[in-house]
Amino acid sequence: MRVVVRTVSELCITVGTLIVLFVVYVLFWTGVRADGAMDHQIDVLQDQWAERPARPAASAGASASPAAPAPYAAGKPFAIMYIPRLGFTWNKPVLENTEVSTLKKGLGHYADTARLGQEGNFAVAGHRRTYGDPFVNFPKLRPGDAVVLTDGTTWFTYRIDKGPYKTVPTDIEVIDPVPRKSGYTREGRYLTLTTCDPEWGHSHRLIVWAHLDSTQPVEAGKPAALRR
Amino acid sequence: MYGWIWRHLPGNAWVKALISLALVLLVVYVLFQYVFPWAEPLLPFNDVTVDNQ
Repeated sequence: MRVVVRTVSELCITVGTLIVLFVVYVLFWTGVRADGAMDHQIDVLQDQWAERPARPAASAGASASPAAPAPYAAGKPFAIMYIPRLGFTWNKPVLENTEVSTLKKGLGHYADTARLGQEGNFAVAGHRRTYGDPFVNFPKLRPGDAVVLTDGTTWFTYRIDKGPYKTVPTDIEVIDPVPRKSGYTREGRYLTLTTCDPEWGHSHRLIVWAHLDSTQPVEAGKPAALRR
Repeated sequence: MYGWIWRHLPGNAWVKALISLALVLLVVYVLFQYVFPWAEPLLPFNDVTVDNQ
């Protein structure tokens, strides 16, 4: 009898400890790991960009309609996103595709949506909670806010038009080239951000839509939205 | 369970305590490195896209 009671209580303590450790892992350790991974992705990008000076100028001079750029490599970073509303130092790498392993390292670009700055809808997903909490303040976004991205050669400034809009996970029309419910009526250069809602749940999604407001080459310096 | 492990560790109380500590750290390492990364995607925090269901 005593052995049984002791074993059961030891098991309970063990399970309790496991749960506490798991909470520590989810709340704290994924953030530590993700911050490191995101910094690493940004370093990778900046190294890449440092190694290819003057290439856009050469291709622009070569022909009036430059060849289609290479497709984004799956799971690899290709841009950095800045959203001043989420904090002046808020910047995250954007990686190609939205797989679980990709979203651990930064924001994920829906692979079948438009390229950055191109005609269509450039759609990006990010964690609301865990893995560095990139979109924890997503509900604070308001129409008029700037979403700035750079691919190393150009700054793209998008302006939010609508959102945060709450929808269900199956509502895939929100990342259509002309997103339903966005208020856009014709083709354009749009940006969609998606994250989960509620904060720790998965029953809904939060969406914001933006349109491309301006572009400028990186040589021209940071866009006005990022200057303080 | 823990009493059984304690009795089967070699050495005196200090050695046992040291080995126990090492075992605990090993278990925590395995959990954080392998078990939790496997279990975490089963929770809803990863569902941030609109096309995965």
